Amino acid sequence: MDPFHPYFGIEWYWLLGVWAAIAIGAHAWQVGYAVRLIRLGKPDDRFNAWPVRLREFLRDWLGQRKVVEDRLAGGAHALIFWGFLLLVSDVLDLGAGGMLAEFLEDIYLKDFWNLVVDIGYLMAGTGITIALYRRVVLRPAKLRGASIEGEIILLAIMGIVLTAFILEGAAMLSPDGAVVERNDWEPVGTLFAGFMAGMDSATLQTVVDVSYWLHMLLIGGFLIEIPRSKHSHLLGTIPNVLFQDHAPLGKQQPLQMAPDGRAVSTDELDVENLVLGASNYTDFSWRQLSDGWACTACARCQDVCPAFASGKGLNPMQIIFDIKDYGREHGRQLLAGETPDESIIDRFTEEAVWACTTCFACVDACPVHIEHVPKLTEARRHLVMEAAKFPEELQSVFENLERNSNPWGFGAHTRGDWAEGLDLKVGEPAEYLFYVGCAGSFDNRNKQVSRTLAQLMQQAGVDFSILGEAEMCNGDLARRSGNEFLFQTLAEMNVATLQEADVKKIVTACPHCFHTLGKEYGDYGGDFEVIHHTQLLAELREQGKLQVGDRGTTMTYHDPCYMGRIDGSHDAPRQALGGEIVEMHRCRDKTFCCGAGGARMWVEERADQRVNLIRAQEALDTGADEVGTGCPFCMTMLTDGLKSLGSEMVVRDVSEIMAGQLEA
Amino acid sequence: MNIAVLVKMVPDTESRLEVRDGVLEESGFKYMINPYDEFAVEQAVQFREAGGGKVTLVALFSEATSIDTDLRKMLAIGCDEVLVLRQPGYRGDRPAANAAALAEALEALAPDIVLCGVQGIDYYQSATGPMVAHKLGMPHIASVTKLELVDGKLKAWRQVEGGLQVVETPLPALVTCQKDLTKVRFPALKDIMFSKRKPFENRPVPAAAGPDLPCTAASLPPARGGGEIIDGETPAAKVATLLGKLRTEAKVL
Repeated sequence: MDPFHPYFGIEWYWLLGVWAAIAIGAHAWQVGYAVRLIRLGKPDDRFNAWPVRLREFLRDWLGQRKVVEDRLAGGAHALIFWGFLLLVSDVLDLGAGGMLAEFLEDIYLKDFWNLVVDIGYLMAGTGITIALYRRVVLRPAKLRGASIEGEIILLAIMGIVLTAFILEGAAMLSPDGAVVERNDWEPVGTLFAGFMAGMDSATLQTVVDVSYWLHMLLIGGFLIEIPRSKHSHLLGTIPNVLFQDHAPLGKQQPLQMAPDGRAVSTDELDVENLVLGASNYTDFSWRQLSDGWACTACARCQDVCPAFASGKGLNPMQIIFDIKDYGREHGRQLLAGETPDESIIDRFTEEAVWACTTCFACVDACPVHIEHVPKLTEARRHLVMEAAKFPEELQSVFENLERNSNPWGFGAHTRGDWAEGLDLKVGEPAEYLFYVGCAGSFDNRNKQVSRTLAQLMQQAGVDFSILGEAEMCNGDLARRSGNEFLFQTLAEMNVATLQEADVKKIVTACPHCFHTLGKEYGDYGGDFEVIHHTQLLAELREQGKLQVGDRGTTMTYHDPCYMGRIDGSHDAPRQALGGEIVEMHRCRDKTFCCGAGGARMWVEERADQRVNLIRAQEALDTGADEVGTGCPFCMTMLTDGLKSLGSEMVVRDVSEIMAGQLEA
Repeated sequence: MNIAVLVKMVPDTESRLEVRDGVLEESGFKYMINPYDEFAVEQAVQFREAGGGKVTLVALFSEATSIDTDLRKMLAIGCDEVLVLRQPGYRGDRPAANAAALAEALEALAPDIVLCGVQGIDYYQSATGPMVAHKLGMPHIASVTKLELVDGKLKAWRQVEGGLQVVETPLPALVTCQKDLTKVRFPALKDIMFSKRKPFENRPVPAAAGPDLPCTAASLPPARGGGEIIDGETPAAKVATLLGKLRTEAKVL
């Protein structure tokens, strides 16, 4: 029993041909439109390292590595995804009136193929059932307010699966409803044949015909719908995963690159032809634009975003929607080379642009390698350097950096005062340079950390020196807040100072210095080996150069974003501390920001929107006696947060905790 | 409309401040633009943007070039040119001599308006501006918090004790600017880069003289003694100890 016969005097294949032409045509036109929009982006050469990219593609796309981190939704998705990959050839077969099956029969593969397809439909059907159960019955909070599109598409593809089973079953029946060609290679189809057996001829033919055309209508409809909806991710994730960023996470791009692979120096910038950051759609790179079509609205970025969690006007997922919607809505103008009145920053909103702490939790959470943060930092570059429009507090911070090379504006000549009486080498050759950073040099609480660390290193016999007055701010806060020119000016001066002092290895107690010096200064000619003090301390402990006893207190550890997640270095502090650590529910690479990153440390935060309160509460919830951390800004934020919550829980740096339990 | 802005370079407030043998040690100073003069620059640029013309920045300083970056930033804000009078042995505490040198340079510029800060934050003499006006024979309006240019006349608002005074003057005139006058803009990067192409003249000038007073001694405020942190079991006990000390030791109660 099959549906391949004339309808109203017209051969079935003509009817199907017309529908296929409409569906495929509409699909192709829309995909072409998206591709043309993406190609408006600036170049970003990621067409390299193909073997690595292929491996990553197989792991992340085919293997669904990050998708399945969410067991329920991700598991359901993987079943549907793998199921459809297995069954997709059946669409061709049904469209070609069974010709594929005939061909496969000739080469003795039909049985195996039947089984594969049947398993595919079964997996997809199971996945859809779980997904519908989650959406309709469980209704997780983050789906509140989501469009009903998700449910409709799930029902539609469920229709595709069920009609396929009906057609499989019907193929085993004779026109009078008797099972004549039982095919055990299609177990589910056999089941359906059993349900339909005994139907009268006319009913059976109607069921088959309706199923077939419903099947084809749904597939065609889905093809038309794919590029228009969040289901564009079916295609959009392919370039996204294949061309994922190979630079270290969180590394920002210089203003201009020279042919030798280094940044063009501030003196030689080609200002006339320089686009500073992004305010127009076309200021973004193609890869930034392609993100819009890769997003599935899974909301994992939203779940982990500190700005969103604290009630600020930023939802990283919305930023990605904005990229796509803006492109589609202004597409005609953009493709004609015109600039719409509404800028992309208008769409993001400035509030959203400034709310980001650059903690990269969103980027880390995204299963398809969407890059949220660079969109916001590019927008900041435009707002600061082109429009001179930014939170008022930052103006004095920038001026302090220019004049005294620290955000607070303390006299630059007092930078080394914290080390008074410690008898440290200043500017002399040594194995390590201890790069103290602004907070460790000027902030009273963090000066204690610098002193403790210096003493620990002395005790362990580490040969190190400091730069003293010659040290400057590494520029992290200028860079993260969009003042790239100021960052580069500071970077160039620091690189010159460090090279003059013949520095090879740097140790720092600040994750932001660690990130900038180690991963970003290379573009400006500074190639140094940079380690974080927790890494050095772990090593010293392991080598027995520091004999550390038991703590006798319970503690939890707050991973700074730029170490735990962005660098992935979360074992070192735990090794350095030793003993048991009561972990917060978000820790290591899933750590939650303290609220200070992305220059947010220096921007006013509304009292009811404090990120540090959320984190402080998480630390309190562990019931530990104290919190350890490895970042001066986390130190400030957590200390303030705990105080605001009325807690007396102590925050100490890893070095201080170790120093407190030293044995002789 | 030609506008001249007088800019003084003053020691950065965070500079190392030392007095040796009654003499101020100036070798460690870093210099910055006198903040009151920045208001004058911003106001001048706003006038130029509204009515055209040229804004010339005039500074008097020693031969040290460490100040050039800061002066260029004023070009980035919107000044058209910079003229630095390089005077050997320049000092910031000689308003009469400095006014003489500045007035001579201004005469050649023939400005319609001269703007400067109400005072330098180094010696707080508030004297150079009025002295320059006197030498040029111009009217002078001091400590202005709002300034308008209407039909070739300047209308100025001055905050005086308990009220507001509004005065008008024909041009040319000299105005010294108070801090509420305007808000200094932050230059965009392109303005900073393009400012490098604007004229920046260094002109050597001879030492000038005037009825200035010599400094006979300088000293820093006495260092504060260390405070005392009061220990106690309870807040109430701490308060009791504090009260006792205020009565017996500080004798203020």
